[in-house]
Amino acid sequence: MTAQDITKLIVRTSMGDRGAFDLLYRQTSAKLFGVCLRILGDRAEAEEALQEIFVKIWTKADRFAVSDLSPISWLAAIARNHAIDRIRARRQPSVDLDAALDVADPTPGPEAAAMASGESERIHLCLDELDKDRAAAVRGAYLKGESYAELAERHGVPLNTMRTWLRRSLMKLRECLER
Amino acid sequence: MSPADDISPDTGGDDILAAEYVVGVLPADERREVAARIERDPTFARLVDGWEVRLSPLGSAYPEVAVPAAVKAAIDRRLFATPAPSAARASLWSSLAFWRGLAAAAAAIAVAIAVAYFVAPPSDQSAQRYVASLAPQQSDVHYFVVYDARTQDIGLSHVTGARPEGRDFELWVIEEGKDPISVGVIPVGQSVHLAVAQALRDRIAAGAIFAISLEPPGGSPTGQPTGPVVASGDLHNV
Repeated sequence: MTAQDITKLIVRTSMGDRGAFDLLYRQTSAKLFGVCLRILGDRAEAEEALQEIFVKIWTKADRFAVSDLSPISWLAAIARNHAIDRIRARRQPSVDLDAALDVADPTPGPEAAAMASGESERIHLCLDELDKDRAAAVRGAYLKGESYAELAERHGVPLNTMRTWLRRSLMKLRECLER
Repeated sequence: MSPADDISPDTGGDDILAAEYVVGVLPADERREVAARIERDPTFARLVDGWEVRLSPLGSAYPEVAVPAAVKAAIDRRLFATPAPSAARASLWSSLAFWRGLAAAAAAIAVAIAVAYFVAPPSDQSAQRYVASLAPQQSDVHYFVVYDARTQDIGLSHVTGARPEGRDFELWVIEEGKDPISVGVIPVGQSVHLAVAQALRDRIAAGAIFAISLEPPGGSPTGQPTGPVVASGDLHNV
């Protein structure tokens, strides 16, 4: 499925085409489930979240037209934001994500590596310009949905220090990407 | 909000707040505030979208994981359990070829809107949003349009149909019995935006027709369509 095919399915979904929605689900649910599992670290909760995410996709598909994101990134953004909202609403920190999931740390597969051209390489190059632990903090926060509180604890710094750190890193990242 | 708000390094400004939201580090209450702001502040929403675009390549690290079949069944129960609207929609879709003709597309949008209202009650934000599917007219050119009257922005999503080399697509608003008015040449890209002039805004209302014509590079030299109409569709309130 090309990006254009997925765009088509999203547009048709926005117009209430159930067949297109079913196909969109078949093509993208595994990826979005991967997002939910990585962030939530719990299968039952990830399944629940995935349901809610596809309900959102059905009702908000028209908004895709006003986003600059590629179709799969737009869907992944909905999934990430929903999973992060869920994990923030939960009190207990999750069980160890990698152990629960039994998946290796994110090393892109061949498909991802093939996609990792142009823009993708630039963000990795720009992250490499940051201090190693700061780049790791940005990557970890993005992929696992870690909060400032969790990052501060892991890096052994006060929360406000962590926030200043990450904001500076994000500003540097923006500068690098805009060069 | 002014552009200067963006830069202040101590507070970070709106752009950094948008980045923090996208990275996902904010606590629950701040995330809720930011999410609400995205809904009511289109300028801020564009900042968030920009960061989603910048950071999205990181998402390629997420693995694909097979989903148990029960999940899709549960989604269908949530969305389509109510028999009346889904039965109406099913019969509509089975009786019409999808993109055949404007009338079919218009009816489909009406059903989609009815379903959307049923599932999610409309908010103030949605009251000034319009959608149109610009279906192919003896071509394979197809765009999906979302017009936001508040921000005077038209978002165009390219579905199918390449522009012939050395030609441009131009977007027009057509009111019955009047000359078409140009909105502008459609930029190249999968998801693009056109600003709507104030004068045009008043003339775009539910019921207006959008059409795309094939024009010389840079748009029609006469101010009126000179090439064939390749796609068109009605505008509907959502």
